[in-house]
Order: sequence, then structure tokens, then C-alpha cells
Amino acid sequence: MSRKGNRGRPRGLVLLAGIGAILLAGLGLAVLALLTSVFGQSDECGAPVGSSPGAGPGASIVLGPPGTGQRVGATEYGGPGDPSSGVVGSSGANLLEFPDSYAELGGETFQTATAMGGLPYMTPLRVTWGSHSAIAYKRDIGLGGGPIDGLPRVLDLWWELAGRLGIPYDDGLWSGPVGVERPPPAGAGNVLGQNATGSTSLTAASSAAEDPATCDPVTPAGVPITSGDHAQLLPNGLAAAPADAPPAVQGIVAAGNQIVGKPYEVGGGHGLPLSEVAPTYDCSSSVEHLLYGGGLLPVSYDAPSGMLESFGEPGPGRWVTLYANADHVFMYVAGLRWDTHNAAGAGDGSTGIGWHPLVRSSAGFVARHPAGL
Amino acid sequence: MNVRRAAAISLCALITAACGAARHHKPPATKPSALAQAQATHEYPSPPPPRQTTTTASATAVVAIRRFATAYINWTAQSVSGDLHALAGASVGQARSAMALAAAGTAGDYELERGGIANHGTVETVALLPGHRDRYVVVTLESTTATNTTAYRGLLPAWHVALATVTEQTPGHWVLSDWQPES
Repeated sequence: MSRKGNRGRPRGLVLLAGIGAILLAGLGLAVLALLTSVFGQSDECGAPVGSSPGAGPGASIVLGPPGTGQRVGATEYGGPGDPSSGVVGSSGANLLEFPDSYAELGGETFQTATAMGGLPYMTPLRVTWGSHSAIAYKRDIGLGGGPIDGLPRVLDLWWELAGRLGIPYDDGLWSGPVGVERPPPAGAGNVLGQNATGSTSLTAASSAAEDPATCDPVTPAGVPITSGDHAQLLPNGLAAAPADAPPAVQGIVAAGNQIVGKPYEVGGGHGLPLSEVAPTYDCSSSVEHLLYGGGLLPVSYDAPSGMLESFGEPGPGRWVTLYANADHVFMYVAGLRWDTHNAAGAGDGSTGIGWHPLVRSSAGFVARHPAGL
Repeated sequence: MNVRRAAAISLCALITAACGAARHHKPPATKPSALAQAQATHEYPSPPPPRQTTTTASATAVVAIRRFATAYINWTAQSVSGDLHALAGASVGQARSAMALAAAGTAGDYELERGGIANHGTVETVALLPGHRDRYVVVTLESTTATNTTAYRGLLPAWHVALATVTEQTPGHWVLSDWQPES
């Protein structure tokens, strides 16, 4: 059973104030929408909009990856002083049997109770109040409300959970700031980085950059992220980009993942804009596709491997190193080799275009790296 | 006379056909040397890999999967690299590559060791994937714990799904050939 927020207040006053606030907010939004449409304030790089902490009932947050906690506004509900909340969460769970429960709040209807992005039921969160913390699971939803200590109100703690955190019971009326954080993904496949959806179940924030040549490189949507500063070869042949790497490096990894396994063809991929995914590639066109993904080449760049002997700066780079000569080019990206064939022998990953885990001989090649990388 | 003429015509036709064939005949193709091929394509052909052998095999596909999955989800920071190395030796194909890669990645892994991270669980079910004869879905119930960090403290055991493919190397000797955790 879903609950309502803002309990224990003069209901008539709350109702009138609420209606007025809704009307004012709606009027304001309408004016804002009109101004936006008239003046065409659009972000060509597709930077995500909204989801910023705000003060209204619709204010929401974007949960960061594990290890990145943030403070949010929380309330408590349930218990002997708040019988109207009931004991059955909207998930159908009897909350008396699951004291480690929370409700995601938001908006004016239960359909808009998505202040943390609309988490699936049973999503675990580590909730911290003072020096106490506990893992809680989403088993309920509720309506939003005004900010709490200037923080968006996104979370309602089942009273027994609040008690575990040391929060004094106030008949369901307590409110205050708490810390929330995603716990690290558990299970062997996740811990070992072999999960098909990414090594740490992290997916970098969506960016939707249309043209890295004209926009700063940003972490592409869907590229798996792994902790640390080394890219990781996943069992499906894709690579997980290091969380610590600059966006350009993550963009390179994402671009590589786009064309892993494409057939090799001499001359393949040349003569096309680098923004397109070609049916075939050769060494230089594939490397150029990746560099374009990192925002390091213009979309029209098209050159054989020998031209890359003068790319960027001489010598190896911190994150990216190209090895080029007149016949071939390959490169290392955060420790993973991008190559068009299995040049390092057994254990060097699948043959063909893609990521290779082993180091190959660089004799006869010129080492170059992008400036700053 | 007619017979002689017919014979002469036939002979001429035969000679003409032979010449035509000879004219269009290509000399036997000579296989380019490996070096020439590499120079032309930038690819150096490698010999086919040797047939993989395993340290152990199981009498049935399900037993092979259960054995593999149980070892995969039960380890400590100290044992994980060795456990995965053993799994690599007991499997073939992608499963072997994935386990070898993971074994190398976890050997001396600072985060695992510092956190005292361990994983344990049970294989809840192994079921043949509909429409496949060698591919199975594996459901496990796992807990990840840590002795030196609170990161996993309070997390409930969770269900996880993996896809497994098996190969019968010889009759009655089943091994894992593909292992893909999905969640």
C-alpha cells in the first residue's frame, strides 16, 4: 500500500497551500517552457538536463556510482504513532517483516515517486545518519514534498530502519538530512568484473554527445566502467573503461567497443566520416575511429598508418600510446591493446579487430601519444 | 569419303577444343608465402590452436556446470586467483580464456586483499535453455563479504544468473566451454 507524505500537519492548511503552490508552480513552469521554446536554449552536446537538486516537490537527484555518497532529505514513516501509513509497502511486502525498508518519494502522484530515478524495488542503498549506517531496500513509494534543510526530499525511512540508524522516533514526523550511497555490486561475476553488463555494474552517465569533434569528450552512454586506472577486457570482447580515466579515454574505449569484431579489410573504413560505423576496417581506419571517439580527430580525418607516425606528441603517453609505421598501426588504451589481429600469440584474445590483453613487439614502430593523454 | 571427312572434322574439333581449353587454362595457383601474405594484408596467419585438454571432466553436463559454478562463487581474496586458475584448467574455449584472464587479474589484487573480500553461495538451479541442447541457465544465491571494509555489510544474499555452455569432449566427459555471468 502506497503512502502519502507530509503527515501530521494541519490538513486544511496544507491542502490550500498545496493547491496554491501547484498553481504557481504550474504557471511558472508554463512560462519557463514558453521562454525555452521561444529562445531555443538547447544543448547541442546533449548534456543531461533536469535531475538537479531543487526545492520543489518534483526535485530529484541522480545517484552516483558506488563510493560516491550524497546528502539528501529524508523523512520517517510508520510505527505506533503513525498508523495511517499502514504496514504494507507498495511492493506488496509487509514492512513489519522487513524493517530494512525505505520508500522512494517524489512528485504529486505515486507515478511520479521517482526522486532517485525510479529505482526498482529491492534496490539496496546504504543510508547514513550521523555515525550510523545501514543497508536498506526499496519496498515502497510515496509522495514528495518540500526540501529538507535545503536538500531535495527523496527518501522515506521505515521507522524501524530509522531506529537502527539511531534516529529518535517522532511518531512518523521526523525529517532531516541523511547520506545515501549505492553499495558495491556483489556476487562473483560482479566482483570479478565478468558480468555481461559491465565489470562493476556501473554505467557511466549518459552524455549523448553528437560530435566529439565539436564537443568536449564526455563519457559515452553505456560504456562499462571499471574501477582504477586500467581498462579491462570483458569476456564478451568489449572493454570496460577505467573510472579514473579522462573522458577522452573513456570515449576511445566506447568507440572501440562499437567496432569490436568487425571484419578486417585493407582499405576498409576509409573514405567515410569517422562518425559512421563502417562494415569493415583496417588498422588505420579503426584506430582513427577510436581517436575520433575520444574527440582527438576531426570527423573528416582519413589517413594511412604512416601518417599517424606524426600524430600528437612523440613517445608513450600516460593513457594512450600509438605505435605506427608505414605498414601498420596499433595502440594501447589504458593498458589494453587495440589491434587488428592477434599479434602476441596464444592468450592474446580473439583474433581480428578488437581489444587484446597482451603486449606485442613494438620494434619498427614509432610511438606517439595524444597531447595530455 | 564421308567417313574420312567426318573423322577429319572430329579431329579438328577436338584439337580446337583442346587449344581453347589450353588457352583459358590457368597455371596451378602457387600459395603466397606467409611473408608475402603478411606484407599484403598486414596480417600474419597463425597456426590452428592445439586441441585443449582439461584436468577434470564430469559425467553429465549438469554435474559439470554445478561443479564449475560452485567453485566460481566460493572463494576468498587469498584463494580466488588459484581457484580461477584451476577452473581455467578444467574448462575449454571462452570459459578457459575468461577464467585465465580473471585469475591473472585477481593475482595480488590490492583491493581484494586489502578489503578481505570473499564470496560464497550455492547453486540453486541449472536448467537447459529452451531451444538449445548445450546451453544452460544457472541461478546462484550469493553473498559477498569483507573483513576490512563496511562496503558490503548488511547486504542480503542476492540471486545471480549466468549462462553456461558445455562440451562433451569424449563420451561421458563434459566440460564448460563458455561461462557468462549476466547479473
